[in-house]
Amino acid sequence: MSEPATPTDVSEPTEKDKKQRRITRRQFLIVAGASGAAALVGLRVLGLPYARLKIAEYLDSSGGPPIGIKAAPTAWFEILPDNRVRLFLPKVEMGQGVHTALAQAAADELEAAWENLEVLSAATGQGLDDPVGTSASNSVSSLQMILRQAGATVRQMLRAEGSRQLGRPVEDTAAEQGFVYVRTDPAVRRSYGEIMAVAPTLTVPEQPAPLKADSELRYIGQPMPRVDLRAKVLGQAVYGIDVRLPGMAYGAMAHPPSVEGKLKRAAAGGAEAMPGVVKVVIDQKNGFAGVVAESREQAYAALGALDLEWDAGHLWQQADVEKAVTAGGAGGVVVQQEGTVRNRLRNGAAVEAEYRVPMAYHAHFEPMTAVADVKNGAAQIYTSTQAAVSVRGDVAAALGLKPEAVVVNQPYLGAGLGHKVETKAAVEAARLSQAAGRPVHLVWSRSEDFQNSFVRPPTHHILRASLTADGRIEALVHEQASGKVALPFLPAIAGAVLGHDFGAWRGARIGYNIPNRETITWVADLPFLTGWWRGLGLLPNTFAVECFMDEVAVAAGVDPIELRLRHLPEGGIGERLRVVLLAVADRAGWNSPASAGRARGVACCVDHGTVVANIAEVSAEGGQIRVHKVTAAADPGVIINPNGVAAQVEGNVVMGLSSALLEETTVVDGVLNPANFGAYRILPMSATPQVEVVLLQGDDKPHGIGEPPIGPVAPAVANAVYALTGTRLRRLPLRLGTTS
Amino acid sequence: MELAINGQVYTVAGEPDRILLWVLRDELGLTGTKFGCGIGMCGSCTVLVDGVPTRSCITPVSAVAGKAILTLEGLAKTGPDGALILNPVQRAFEEEQVHQCGYCMTGQMLTAVALLRSNPRPSVAEIVAGMDRVLCRCGAYPRIKRAVARAAEIAGQEGGL
Repeated sequence: MSEPATPTDVSEPTEKDKKQRRITRRQFLIVAGASGAAALVGLRVLGLPYARLKIAEYLDSSGGPPIGIKAAPTAWFEILPDNRVRLFLPKVEMGQGVHTALAQAAADELEAAWENLEVLSAATGQGLDDPVGTSASNSVSSLQMILRQAGATVRQMLRAEGSRQLGRPVEDTAAEQGFVYVRTDPAVRRSYGEIMAVAPTLTVPEQPAPLKADSELRYIGQPMPRVDLRAKVLGQAVYGIDVRLPGMAYGAMAHPPSVEGKLKRAAAGGAEAMPGVVKVVIDQKNGFAGVVAESREQAYAALGALDLEWDAGHLWQQADVEKAVTAGGAGGVVVQQEGTVRNRLRNGAAVEAEYRVPMAYHAHFEPMTAVADVKNGAAQIYTSTQAAVSVRGDVAAALGLKPEAVVVNQPYLGAGLGHKVETKAAVEAARLSQAAGRPVHLVWSRSEDFQNSFVRPPTHHILRASLTADGRIEALVHEQASGKVALPFLPAIAGAVLGHDFGAWRGARIGYNIPNRETITWVADLPFLTGWWRGLGLLPNTFAVECFMDEVAVAAGVDPIELRLRHLPEGGIGERLRVVLLAVADRAGWNSPASAGRARGVACCVDHGTVVANIAEVSAEGGQIRVHKVTAAADPGVIINPNGVAAQVEGNVVMGLSSALLEETTVVDGVLNPANFGAYRILPMSATPQVEVVLLQGDDKPHGIGEPPIGPVAPAVANAVYALTGTRLRRLPLRLGTTS
Repeated sequence: MELAINGQVYTVAGEPDRILLWVLRDELGLTGTKFGCGIGMCGSCTVLVDGVPTRSCITPVSAVAGKAILTLEGLAKTGPDGALILNPVQRAFEEEQVHQCGYCMTGQMLTAVALLRSNPRPSVAEIVAGMDRVLCRCGAYPRIKRAVARAAEIAGQEGGL
């Protein structure tokens, strides 16, 4: 990696700095303004229940982070003498293709040649301060305009300086594909690299340069190839687990044998005398015991020799969990209230149903991993993380360092799926390195990864609806209980103020235009950590709400798509949903019967400004559900890279089917179970249906695509199974023979 | 003990039951082979041993001594002019833009190479059967299927893999 900007380069620029910045080392920094999250005011004056409702509405509409986020992502361009352009991004590449999409936005306006681009994740030492991390489907939507403006501005600056070096007025030149050239004589030109190589003085304008007209765009909207693909095809891409440092040793950590397990007593035992052992690290007070050795095998062998005594705590069972996660009763918090649901439902609901979604594991194939090099009061961390700023803070706290002394470098992730917000492995590696005085490489075993971090929370849903005589929904209430998602990762005060967990009820609110609707949530306090998982609450909540819509359609005697069309949300979203529903119906042949022995089901969702609808076609032989085809229509607004967006839709369909049909984590005798692949099944190729993707652009802004398409997958399948068999499956994973 | 990896001979010390995956990654610096589960279930650690897909995470080095080991790093060739020549499987995976996170793709691509060497013109069903034990969490299966078929075409035109 090239020499990064020094931390002082990224301090708040003075007014003078903003106007003129002397460019050194052919490297410069653009500080682009990013609008932070809107301040949440009025908490004191408006009263708590109302404030909660407003916060809920704000969070549901923005999909954004909670209170007090200073989102100021910064981006760096580095232009090398050979005309290569390096783009440093605060977002990591974990398979979602954001490095490519964001490079398209930046390079289009910069007019850099595609083959000259290099895209890297910035380290925190480069001034990265992106507390959102890489999550919430917001990388492209939050950054693409900033990068376009920065690219356009840099191009304008290069053109001005290039014109000066060519001895021509700016009006006579153009900047395209990495060169500033004379319009009337394109052979007279200087490359961006040549322009920068003479260390010019560039003037950063007060205002961002104007953007290209749509007709001038080269890369945006095109299926540009993935910028990380060649390295990955050759086996040369460096993932977190691949980082190697000189003098590196290997770590192994003792992790509790149960979800409530605590280290009671720890001693080195015979570990110190084992071959290759560099250091045995025991901090009984903080429940920390680990080993550093010359090889991984030696580290794990020595770990087995430690003399450890655990307090296993209460041995929780799955039934305890389901009891704790139950909607209804006291303590519910209203996060949506329109009309007067209670009065409407007092005379009895026409339709009522309960759903459950189990815990699930993330199953990213690269386990938690980190390399730490702690010396001279500073730490370099290399880790697969979605939350570099959290890693920096947690490592600094554990080592007794200031956050500025910790630099978090961000290699590629072998997927993240929400789990890699976890900072534990990085903290463990850092503590081991500090104690051993050597760089330490740590990889959790797969079982450690299954059992020593948070899982997708279990949920329970009760839905009730009443109908009018003419087949419309008069009232609908969704009562939802879930283990925590966001609260464990926020300051304790957030839970006290909010009373609910915005992550848990993502997708729970009733978006349909129903005059009386209400969503009430219960936060379940479980004895172990639950948290972020792709889409957060979107998958379980969409499963419940969209299966219930199917039940209502049956009760009302209305086609399920027609029922949704009758209750479209008001405004632009409603129109987009109408278009998406009609598109998916058309493409899947909804109005013609499925072939013999098969049936179709539909489901949809609106999430992070993206509208998605799925139709699944299934059969069931010998009680085995088989999904033959999923047609997925998605409108994420402006599409930067159609091939990348299609890949995200396909991947979400496969992962959604995996949850729909196979995945389940339970607690057995105080232990999360299963603890490895094989017993924990994920969808293989042979169970993957044909996936047909229909992309639509119904808005002039880009919205999220990393998570929204996971919402409708499971309910589309469950609704198809009902259409086929008449059996309503209300619990994931879907199994014929198990109704709720 | 001597290991022949990607046409190069490496001398490896230590016990014969050391696991091939960690020797490749930690000792020889060949990190293209990935650790996924450690029990041979996911396929991310696949290497070819005398052309046979083998889970390196459960394979002791003693089992592969004297055999030809191919890891992902050895799949592309260098032409006489020094230019990089991708294997048809690598080219097809690029053409189809298969990778998402890419972590399992070592296993996917090497398994595809072995499949196409034994069955140069597989049907879709044969592709699924041949690839089914290599899991992909990102859900790139539809593209993997297309890419393996495309690789068969490329290899057919160019006289093999």
